[in-house]
Amino acid sequence: MASTAAAVNGAAQSIISVRDVSKDYLLGKTHVHALRGVSLGVDRGEFLSIAGPSGSGKTTLLNLIGCVDTPTSGTVLVDGQDTSRLSERALTDLRLHRIGFIFQSFNLVQVLSVFQNVEFPLLLQGGLSQQERSARVNGLLEAVGIGEYARHRPSELSGGQRQRVAVARALVTRPALVLADEPTANLDSATGQNIIDLMRDMNRKDGTTFVFSTHDPKVMAHASAIIRIADGQIAGREAVHGARAEPAAAPVRS
Amino acid sequence: MATQTRLATGGVLLRIAFRNLLASRAKTAIIGGIILLGAVLVVVGSSLLDSFDSGMRRSIQGSLGGQLQVYDERSKDPLAIYGGMMGESDLHAIEDFAAVKKVIGAVPNVKAVVPMGIDQAMVSTGNLIDVTLAKLREDAKKLAAGDASPELRQVYDSRKAHVRRIGELLHEELKSAQAIVDKSSKEYQERVAEYADLERALLPAFWDGFDADPFGHLEFLENRIAPLSSDTGFTFVRYAGTDLDAFAKGFDRLRVVEGKMVPSGQRGILLGKWYADEYLKLRVAHRFEKLKDARQVGRRKIAGDEELQRWVKENQGQTRDLLLQLDPLKAQKATAALQKRLGSKTAELPALLGELLKVDDANFDEHYRIFQEELVPLVQLYSISVGDTIVIKAPTKTGYLKSVSAKVYGFIEFQGLEKSSLAGVMSLMDLTTWRDLYGHLTSEKAKEIADLKAAAGLGELDRDRAEAELFGAASAGPVEAKQSRLDEAVLVGERDQRAVQRDLDGRRYTQAEIDEGVALNAAVLLEDPTKLAATQKAIEAAIQSAKLPLKVVTWQEASGMVGQFVTLARIVLWVAVLIIFAVALVIINNAMVMATLQRVKEIGTMRAIGAQRRFVWVMLLVETVAIGLFFGALGSALGVGLLQLIKSRGGIPATNDQLYFFFSGPTLVPVVGGTSLLVALVIVFLVSVASGLYPAILGTKVTPLEAMSSDD
Repeated sequence: MASTAAAVNGAAQSIISVRDVSKDYLLGKTHVHALRGVSLGVDRGEFLSIAGPSGSGKTTLLNLIGCVDTPTSGTVLVDGQDTSRLSERALTDLRLHRIGFIFQSFNLVQVLSVFQNVEFPLLLQGGLSQQERSARVNGLLEAVGIGEYARHRPSELSGGQRQRVAVARALVTRPALVLADEPTANLDSATGQNIIDLMRDMNRKDGTTFVFSTHDPKVMAHASAIIRIADGQIAGREAVHGARAEPAAAPVRS
Repeated sequence: MATQTRLATGGVLLRIAFRNLLASRAKTAIIGGIILLGAVLVVVGSSLLDSFDSGMRRSIQGSLGGQLQVYDERSKDPLAIYGGMMGESDLHAIEDFAAVKKVIGAVPNVKAVVPMGIDQAMVSTGNLIDVTLAKLREDAKKLAAGDASPELRQVYDSRKAHVRRIGELLHEELKSAQAIVDKSSKEYQERVAEYADLERALLPAFWDGFDADPFGHLEFLENRIAPLSSDTGFTFVRYAGTDLDAFAKGFDRLRVVEGKMVPSGQRGILLGKWYADEYLKLRVAHRFEKLKDARQVGRRKIAGDEELQRWVKENQGQTRDLLLQLDPLKAQKATAALQKRLGSKTAELPALLGELLKVDDANFDEHYRIFQEELVPLVQLYSISVGDTIVIKAPTKTGYLKSVSAKVYGFIEFQGLEKSSLAGVMSLMDLTTWRDLYGHLTSEKAKEIADLKAAAGLGELDRDRAEAELFGAASAGPVEAKQSRLDEAVLVGERDQRAVQRDLDGRRYTQAEIDEGVALNAAVLLEDPTKLAATQKAIEAAIQSAKLPLKVVTWQEASGMVGQFVTLARIVLWVAVLIIFAVALVIINNAMVMATLQRVKEIGTMRAIGAQRRFVWVMLLVETVAIGLFFGALGSALGVGLLQLIKSRGGIPATNDQLYFFFSGPTLVPVVGGTSLLVALVIVFLVSVASGLYPAILGTKVTPLEAMSSDD
């Protein structure tokens, strides 16, 4: 991948750089201004929470960062690349190689086993041998604590276990950035805590940048920083004391 | 991308497809079922039709058609060698066959050119009392000549008794006929006179005086009694007049099953065995054979089969022909044999026969054997036997009847087509006899006569009427060719031509005499039948440069309705296949669109985590193609299995005479065509791709945003 973290406007440490971004879309016959002039920078290795009431624009912001959507105006730089200048194909490649996704409702492929779900992005990437893939997938499944369920189907697992699989799938390509939209919303609070802890562990171990949205204060508390968003605008950024991750080197890709 | 990963990606695609198919079993089963049905139909149907086609090809090419046929392009009807809907086709005669033979014979790849003229005519089948009286006359002559052997005396007495018996049977018939006739009518008066004659012939005094004046008595019987017999019959015969030597060489499926081939260059007729069985054979014997075939080949049972039961009943009711043939000596023999074999005490022969002919599934084989061993040697099975000279009468174009005598040298059949009515009805006669019957003059003769007429100051000769005008000049031909208006008297009354015929029978015609003259069409046989199209072109070119007004058609076109049968069947099959697959296309398309819509979230997720559009496209298409190919292959295998099952059971029996022709034998043993299989799989593949295309394209329109929606 040619995505070097070359200095863009001196923001060498920034994995995400959002500048003056607006996003409008049509809902029925009314124009919805989901985002109005948002600017934001995220450093590598951060464990960032985006918080705000529903309809505040946090999902839209995540979608723009995740390259599944493009802004109406302004620029979004992900890993140094301007997403509005990339083709649909290149955006897909960027998602595949640099970003991991964790979804609110887990979004596992029902017909594939746990192992196959986690292996899936590696197959899309290509380049690894069968042995390498197995080693990496099994290692991750152990790390997220569901090694024994490798052969199970998603439907045979509990919600928490499923989200662990999703975390493993998001991390299997060793992305620079993991995005999670309300990862705990469909889980009970204890399980949600566990998932956040797991993500935090991964953030600490590998230095992978995590950005997740939530409206649960308990979940927010685990973040290194919280971005408050309301009515499509950033209301403030607060650091959470003592939760800041050790800044790690950029994740190494094999 | 390393090959290994590509394989792994392919693997995951297949796995996803397979698991999805498994996950929605009902849908898969419905789609699969339709595709399966279609594939079975394609494989079985086209294999059967291919076998059908090649069977028919063998039948037509080997029996009458050859590979190509030529006929005059001025003909009113197209050539139909097996007859058309409206009877025989009206063909313009080829005046000089020798010229045609020379031109076409010189074209490369042409093995032989066989001249033909196909037509129908009437044949008198003879009459039992005539035949018996003729034999009695022979015996009386021998006796008069001084032969005094005891065997002759015994046969002579037995024949007398036979005639007397026939007379008795006639008497009974007339008596019952009289009962239903209006007593005031003129007919009644005639009947009374006839009845009186018959009564006289049955008086003991008549027979006591027979030996004193056998020829006087015979005359009375021949002139007064024989005409009363109602079984004086005639039947139609369909024949091809041809160069018999060339025909036998060219059509190697021709077999002489009884008698022998007409000696080279001589006049004569070979009757179709099937025709003889169907029209000339003793009905009871014929039905016995049909029952045997139905049981053995058709695997039918008498019990529960209405047709077979009807045959058995008819046999029981129609013993008269058989009884008539048995003179007292033979009747006695038959009675004794049947009593012994059936273990019956009945003394009456009709009752014994009834017992023998009352067959069921249990006793059929035994009764059939008894019939063959005890009765068949005693009777004349066919009303025309090998060696007989028969009179054939055909109407000419002007509506006059032309009659010609021909010696029956043998019965023929076409190997593999023994039971086919289309092939079996054909008799063959030499070209010279045919020309006499056709009544067409050679161009030389016509010219000669025209010259004569011109010299005599007459106008131009109308070719069609030439023969009628030249009625008196019929002596130009060697055969007595009498003409009279078409009426039954002519059909029945001709008995004295045989003597005239005798001198002609020995005459040998040279190849030149056979070739130089009229034919209606000619079969062209090729060295290499696979080069049919090329040779057809070459022949057409040769004909054109020789300025012959001929038309060249393939065996298929020449066989008329028959040749179109397979084409028709093929159209029906492909229409059925088309409908099935059109339905399949709609159903599969619908089902897959539904499936795609249900999986929008999954597809969105895949797109979000990095799957390109192409991946989604291939993933969805693989699913339809996999289902198509799997069930297509299964259906093909099932079709092959079905064909093998048919094969292992000995093929599909030809349950009627027409099927015999299409099967080119008693059974159709289907050959699994490699092309049929390939065609089935290609069709299934194309249909599944076509029906999966739209849902797959729909799938590529799913955006990764779909993955983000929170509703499950």
